[in-house]
Amino acid sequence: MFTRLTLFFFCCVSGVALADGVPIKVENAWLQAVPPVAEVTAAYMKIRNLGQSALQLIGASSPIAAKIVPMITTRHERNGQEVMGMESVENLEIPPGGTLELKPGGNHLMIMGLISHPKEGELVKVTVRFAPGDQQLDVQVPVFKQEPK
Amino acid sequence: MSETISEPEKNLVPMGPTRAVTRRMFVAAIALGLALLVSFLFTRYFAYRNVQQNFYGQALVPAKQAFDFRLVDQDGKAFHLSQMRGKAVLFSFGFTHCPNVCPTTLSDLAKVYQALPAKDREKVQILFVSIDPQRDKPETMKNYVPYFNESFIGLTGTEAELAEAAKAYGAYYEILHDQGANPEVYTVNHSALTYLITPDGKWKLLYNFDQLSDSKKMVQDIEQVLGGA
Repeated sequence: MFTRLTLFFFCCVSGVALADGVPIKVENAWLQAVPPVAEVTAAYMKIRNLGQSALQLIGASSPIAAKIVPMITTRHERNGQEVMGMESVENLEIPPGGTLELKPGGNHLMIMGLISHPKEGELVKVTVRFAPGDQQLDVQVPVFKQEPK
Repeated sequence: MSETISEPEKNLVPMGPTRAVTRRMFVAAIALGLALLVSFLFTRYFAYRNVQQNFYGQALVPAKQAFDFRLVDQDGKAFHLSQMRGKAVLFSFGFTHCPNVCPTTLSDLAKVYQALPAKDREKVQILFVSIDPQRDKPETMKNYVPYFNESFIGLTGTEAELAEAAKAYGAYYEILHDQGANPEVYTVNHSALTYLITPDGKWKLLYNFDQLSDSKKMVQDIEQVLGGA
């Protein structure tokens, strides 16, 4: 009764993951390395919807953390200075043919309750979940101390 | 020749005492006017030159005396901003439970620091000031901030001290805990600016979050500040 799509992925140096049979392509994925004292970090990636209908990024999970949630970053002026805010959201929409860019200072996957602290150069498995349905995509995300350019 | 000229001159300029006073006053007025004009032009010139320094960051013209915050460093020792005189200081406010903006700010600043010529690195100090003293103790800062670059110093303090420091630099922050069913859902709002203090203790430049990723331009500004500009 519950049909789970089994998705395959491949990952190369540039961090490209392409779901086989599912129109999702993940590129430039990376995870911010943080020291062991940190309880949170973030993962970033570009998610392309190659299909004909909209998809929603609804969450993710990983063996390294208790919880991963999609977040948006808000910006507004206060006393003449830019104030950045962060809010968790139910989902992040990816229109058909569109790209959702998760990047520092923007939308991101917040990784909460870190169980282990991967070091730069390591790969972390992050299972990204999409609606409609419960489509999952495993992405091997490389860890960097600084944003790879 | 000389006769014919000197005669009409004498007639035209009869040097009476009243006339001489008027003339002195006239000369004085001209001199005063010139002095005013010259000082005005100088002021304009220096204001212009200030703008012409073409900083990448937002320049405060004139630069303000930097508020000398008194906090605690990551080793638990008293830390005054004025201890850093002689160095260019870049600092921002943040907290260690910040997943996105703060690690990015620190890693961008680490990149900037690494991009500086080796001889100038010792003339630059990067600080990260916590605005979350309940969770960020000196040892937390010690384990967090130097991770991004070993020369970086993390600062914390009492709530009042940190609020005072943030206020002095116009920084704004609030940590909102969600009262709903999910305690993990929360909102954090904070200004994400980086402040540049000159070696003589003036707050001269301001960077927004997005500017920090351009190491080359950041380095140019720092070099300009170190060059005594």
